[in-house]
Amino acid sequence: MQRLPSRLRRAFAFLCFATAAVSCAANGALPTVKLFTTGGTIQSKGAHRGKLSEYSDGRVTPQELIDDLPELKTVAQLEVVEISNIGSGGMNADLLLKLAKGINAELAKPGVAGAVVTHGTGTLEETAYFLNLTVKSAKPVVVVGAMRPFTAISRDGPFNLYNAVRVAATPEAAGKGVMVLLNDTIHAARFVTKNNTYRIETFVARELGPLGFADSDRIAFYRTPLGRHTATSEFDISKLESLPAVDVVYGYQEASPAPIEALVAAGVKGIVLVDGSPSFAKAIALAQSKGVVVVQSDRKGSGRVLLSERSAGRGLISADNLNGQKARILLRLALTKTTEAKELQRIFNEY
Amino acid sequence: MKRSRLLPTVSCLLFCTLASARAQEIPGILPPGLKLPRITLLSMGGTIASRGDTRLNVTNYGGPGAPRVDPEHWVADLPDMALVAKITTEDFRPPQPPPPAPGTAAPTGGAAGGTTSEQLYKVARRLQELAADDTVDGIVVTHGTNTMAESAWFMNLVVSIKKPVVFVGSQRPWTGMSGDGPLNMLNAVRVAATPAAAGKGVLHCMNQNINPARDVTKLSAYRMDTFSSIDLGVIGVADPDVVKFYAEPVRRHTFKSEFNIASLPADPKTLPAVECVYAYTEAPGYLIDALTERGVKGIIVDGTGAGSPTGGPTGQTEAIKRAQAKGIVVAVTARTRGGRVQDTPRRRESGIIPADNLTPEKARMLLQIALTKTTDPKELKRIFDEY
Repeated sequence: MQRLPSRLRRAFAFLCFATAAVSCAANGALPTVKLFTTGGTIQSKGAHRGKLSEYSDGRVTPQELIDDLPELKTVAQLEVVEISNIGSGGMNADLLLKLAKGINAELAKPGVAGAVVTHGTGTLEETAYFLNLTVKSAKPVVVVGAMRPFTAISRDGPFNLYNAVRVAATPEAAGKGVMVLLNDTIHAARFVTKNNTYRIETFVARELGPLGFADSDRIAFYRTPLGRHTATSEFDISKLESLPAVDVVYGYQEASPAPIEALVAAGVKGIVLVDGSPSFAKAIALAQSKGVVVVQSDRKGSGRVLLSERSAGRGLISADNLNGQKARILLRLALTKTTEAKELQRIFNEY
Repeated sequence: MKRSRLLPTVSCLLFCTLASARAQEIPGILPPGLKLPRITLLSMGGTIASRGDTRLNVTNYGGPGAPRVDPEHWVADLPDMALVAKITTEDFRPPQPPPPAPGTAAPTGGAAGGTTSEQLYKVARRLQELAADDTVDGIVVTHGTNTMAESAWFMNLVVSIKKPVVFVGSQRPWTGMSGDGPLNMLNAVRVAATPAAAGKGVLHCMNQNINPARDVTKLSAYRMDTFSSIDLGVIGVADPDVVKFYAEPVRRHTFKSEFNIASLPADPKTLPAVECVYAYTEAPGYLIDALTERGVKGIIVDGTGAGSPTGGPTGQTEAIKRAQAKGIVVAVTARTRGGRVQDTPRRRESGIIPADNLTPEKARMLLQIALTKTTDPKELKRIFDEY
């Protein structure tokens, strides 16, 4: 699973961070953290303080976000890069590539300690996982959002953003891949998923749990994720302008094969099945015969997919314990490298 | 890596044919030249080593004079282990008390509750020997589930070892219907035989989940999914196809620990005495006074909420001050179980050590061990931050 011995990876991560830390210590200044804003509830305004849903009464600019949080001045020097100001449902390959390239450019600078990304929570886990696979740096990258808009009573955004910047400025956060922070809890992008429509504790890593906590006294880490990510990832998006089309099909009793057939007809390169149905069998065979890669995920939300030898022999790929939306992200990147089933399965085993 | 992937496959293929085979008879169909990992299976007893009188007896087994499962029985009953490892057994169970006199009731209580510091010392010393033994690749330790998290944590702190050490038990006796013991044991052996399990500290594997000794605790009296790392999670899984790790623990353990069984006081009875006190509405301070008078060296108060002892003139806070005045170290845990006890200015002023997110029973063990080195609050705080 891990190509490099963990000690070597850690040493590398430390070295990367140390370079940034030393250069900011030389100026006697706080670490520089780049704030990439993409939008989301954390940058949304409601008509009044009681509006906890259906808030679309204006956007919060990056400057408003920072002016709202003078406490950040004690933690880091923030520099803003605005990517977009949209809800997370509108996130797309163009923006993902723009974001990842932007982060790579900034983190390559010795004076930058880490990055924070604001994002809507709906598809936050997808963007975080995409960055986990494409950021070429061991410096901390923390994706943050909010469950309550900027204008709401007891909004969670400010403390989430404050803690995200603290984590991005913490040496111990280096080499842990991209992280997600809401509700004081530090999650690995690889494991985390949104688990509730409105509660502030919505982000969980079902069986694997968080990596640590951003408590008032300290950032306390308990786990380091294994598997390949960021600095040890083989994916390179520096020359990519688009990503292969991959879509997701849900399985249930008597599920119609029509969506699979329609996707094949539309020319997708890959299909992720969230669970399956016996009625899919013919359509899957058709898809595979046309060179469409089919990955098997599961709708239960935790646990690995174990394929029978027969299924694996037919070229079906196990998504390990990735949910459908994350398996899709990995497959899009994997298809930029290979369409060979064995190699794709290796990738799903390692990331 | 190659070996760990090959073995489960072979094991799956041969599962049926081997079910009737004899213990440790290695079938000729294993690939020639394949060297099985050598695993020491060390019994500290437990439900996994207990027999009930019927298959449905899953609550009232064990006790003085009751039949037990000897380590050799496991090997005979679970021939599947022969496909994944070469097993050597060692028996570290406490001597069994004689059966009760006719007409008297047998004492109740699980075997694990009776684990003593003498036994922990014996096992820790043996593990330290096995760490240096070139003929052993990994170790599985069985234990009763009630206090196995404490025992695993003790080993995690005082045994300097890189090879896998995996604690295992079961919720149903070896004879129980749909008993979890056999699969737990097979999986623990598989984890101990997995190179990736090395260097991750003492591990716990039951119910197909791998948890670190530091974080794991028992959460349910009888269910088989009882062990959990509470607000953290599992670090890996033992699935039929492969043992897979997703994370590794960050805190200091085993070969990174500053403590070792060899440098603890030779007599476990002279380990600094530390006891635990629970906090609740109107919890009285005199229980703490009683421990102070008894001469303990440390007290863990399992505080309410974020780790608060009770206040008021008769409460715990005043009694803590009296204890501290006599040089007793006081640490607080949070009875919420999830979440850390934080370092706050007020707590720092009070001289009370925050025990991070450890359970009181684990905080007790760490404090016992830490007090063999220092009584300095700053240094103790560092230890609780790092382990």
